[in-house]
Amino acid sequence: MNPTAKRTKLRDIHRLPFGWNALLHLIAGGFALSCLFPFALAIVISFTDENTLALNGYSIFPEKWSMFAYDYIFRTGDQLLHSYLVTLSVTAIGTLLTVALTALYAYALSRKAFKYRKGFTFLAFFTMLFGGGLVPSYIIVAQMLHLKDTIWALILPMALNAFNIVILRTFFQTMIPDAIVESGKIDGAGEYKILFRLVLPLALPGLATIALFSTLGFWNDWFNALLYIDSNRMVPLQAMLMRIESSMQFIIQNSSILNSGESREMLASLPQETSRMAMVVLATGPIVLAYPFFQRYFVEGLTIGAVKD
Amino acid sequence: MKKGWMGTTAVLLTASLLAAGCGSKGNEEKPSASANGSQGASPSASASGSAKTEENVNLVWYTIGTPPKDLKKVNDAVNDYIKDKIHATVEMKLLDWGDYSQKMQIIIASGEPYDIAFTSSWANDYFGNAKKGAFYELDGLLEKEGKGAKEALNPAFLEGTKVNGHNYGLPTNKELPQQRVFRFNKTLVDKYKLDLSQVKTIQDLEPLLKTVKENEPGLNPIPGKIAEFLPFDLPINDLPFIGVPLDTKEYKLINVWDTPEAMSYLETVHKYYQAGYFPKDVATQTDAGDYFKTGKWLVDVADAQPYADNLWSNDAGYGVVSVPMQDPITFNWSVAGSLQAINAKSKHPEKAMEFLNLLYTDANLVNLIDFGIEGVHYKKTGEQSKDAIPDSGYGFPAFTTGNMMLTYLNTNDPADKWEKFKEFNDSATSAPLLGFQADTSSITTEIANLKNAKDSTYNALFSGTIDPKDNLPKVNKKLKDSGLDKVMAELQKQIDAWRASK
Repeated sequence: MNPTAKRTKLRDIHRLPFGWNALLHLIAGGFALSCLFPFALAIVISFTDENTLALNGYSIFPEKWSMFAYDYIFRTGDQLLHSYLVTLSVTAIGTLLTVALTALYAYALSRKAFKYRKGFTFLAFFTMLFGGGLVPSYIIVAQMLHLKDTIWALILPMALNAFNIVILRTFFQTMIPDAIVESGKIDGAGEYKILFRLVLPLALPGLATIALFSTLGFWNDWFNALLYIDSNRMVPLQAMLMRIESSMQFIIQNSSILNSGESREMLASLPQETSRMAMVVLATGPIVLAYPFFQRYFVEGLTIGAVKD
Repeated sequence: MKKGWMGTTAVLLTASLLAAGCGSKGNEEKPSASANGSQGASPSASASGSAKTEENVNLVWYTIGTPPKDLKKVNDAVNDYIKDKIHATVEMKLLDWGDYSQKMQIIIASGEPYDIAFTSSWANDYFGNAKKGAFYELDGLLEKEGKGAKEALNPAFLEGTKVNGHNYGLPTNKELPQQRVFRFNKTLVDKYKLDLSQVKTIQDLEPLLKTVKENEPGLNPIPGKIAEFLPFDLPINDLPFIGVPLDTKEYKLINVWDTPEAMSYLETVHKYYQAGYFPKDVATQTDAGDYFKTGKWLVDVADAQPYADNLWSNDAGYGVVSVPMQDPITFNWSVAGSLQAINAKSKHPEKAMEFLNLLYTDANLVNLIDFGIEGVHYKKTGEQSKDAIPDSGYGFPAFTTGNMMLTYLNTNDPADKWEKFKEFNDSATSAPLLGFQADTSSITTEIANLKNAKDSTYNALFSGTIDPKDNLPKVNKKLKDSGLDKVMAELQKQIDAWRASK
């Protein structure tokens, strides 16, 4: 990078020629920028004056800035606060539950001594290939278990996932040598002690990977809320954003069929453009900040199985 | 292996038991399904002195609209009000615009208990659901519990929403026909002294557009896509190229896009596009009317109702005037613009109808549901008028339910607004296919193909972006290849049978 370094005799053999280096950086940088740009634009729009937006359209340097959108949201919107609470608790409880259930199930499957292992593996694997479909799942969740409008409707349908089980089972099988389990047995440890004191600490990267998957899954899930949540108090963040978005879409699509008097009434019930962007910013902010924290484990989890001794 | 399966089943059973336990715990606080309804019976039970003591039932009511913050508060007020009148309470469940159809589809398919639901030609498909048997047949109820509603409605509403000769939904009492109008920005009309008296068709707009474009080069006189008006009645709304002429005698279906009317309309629009009267990107625009706020427009197309100009002017903050393109005509879809239906599996269809009936006869209840609680969500400004209190946390789409003619007016609405609505409804003529519903079950593939063929060029063509001279014949050929003739023949057969039965 340093121009003088290029001339030194002791060249690092991994170093690329300057031109290539610059080009690759440019490509990667450009790609990163194109990923970041929409978010930056959303932030700018959320701080733009509503009338300026209508007159000039989207611009990264608006003529007139305004805090109105945030003011409006915090004034009228305990909805946002509710949704935050719902999303946070769903994510926290859901992630813990997912990791616990997945780890227990996967560990049992990974032990060769477990007699019914084939049957249980098949049971999990079967759900990867075939699902019951939308209406039967709805009947089970809403009418048999009566989970409608409860936090469990957002957690339980996603709590145990066959794909995660398979990943973690493979992880246990390859990363935890049987010898470790045997050594525990020789030293007189019971099954629980072996699991909690020996196996799980060694499997931490694998567990973190599952935790990351499910955190993102729970945080971003809106479909379960669409199905099972009617009450405003239980709507999670993403579902709230999704509602606004799909309602917008719906009204625009139908505006020609509907009498203008009516689509007027509908539009009036939706937040304005800047307020919508402000909601996007407030809703996505935290997870963006949480990501780097998890990323460390994520990379570790992915690479740790790559090299075997 | 055999033992393994038994173990599996045992675990599954335990898990579902556990989950059920958690679920019911979370549910306890709320009155959920109609099963809980009977609990609140005690206070009013004494009121009914009739032979059999009526028990309070709880009606579950799904309707469309963004759920407002104070829904619970208003719902409680509604229950306080109706409890003694009909010995029932209602649980209002508002589902957001975009979610409504999908959610109702699942609710109906899964047989989830509910009593009343919003339905229409554009959300939670009324005709489809009625044919499937999802809704309760109202004919009997309308003679007894629903008498008041029946009297309040223009007979054309019930006539036009019949499916196989029966009513399955109670239409909102609002404007009945459709009247498409050109809507003008009065500021510009006054500024350039434009003469609107000569305007009737899209062709007549040309001199006006020209004047404005010459004087205000930075402005697109027509700010977005405009809805076309071609004098045809369509048996299937999604397929705007199959229709009969509005003044038809022989009810023969033709390809609308193959008529000189369509060609001349499209040529005009294309000419306007080339002259720069439309925005360049009009075909792909997804704007929901921002130009209304900025005032940078001259003319667009809308559907009118009496005193619509006042509404629009209020919204815009400047004058908006309109010129009708047609006389008011009642179409199938305009009649079925908004209905409330009763679940075919409802346990209390009579109670549900009693509640719906109140919505057509009891002004206090309608205003409570539409506008909220007086003094909290709106202020009364006169005998029949009110002003909404901004950001007060309640809003409800009034057009989705009940008798709109009973609702309070806005302070600056003319006092005879609802009389004008009645006149407007009475003045309407019926479209030729009013009351006809196509049965598409035997031609679903062709219809899907035709829809695809339409969608690929519709926007480009009707926004004037491409030249109809070359493209319209191509589109028509594509429609023919996608099975247009088969669909037309089938629909024609149905229409003939329908006419013979009348």
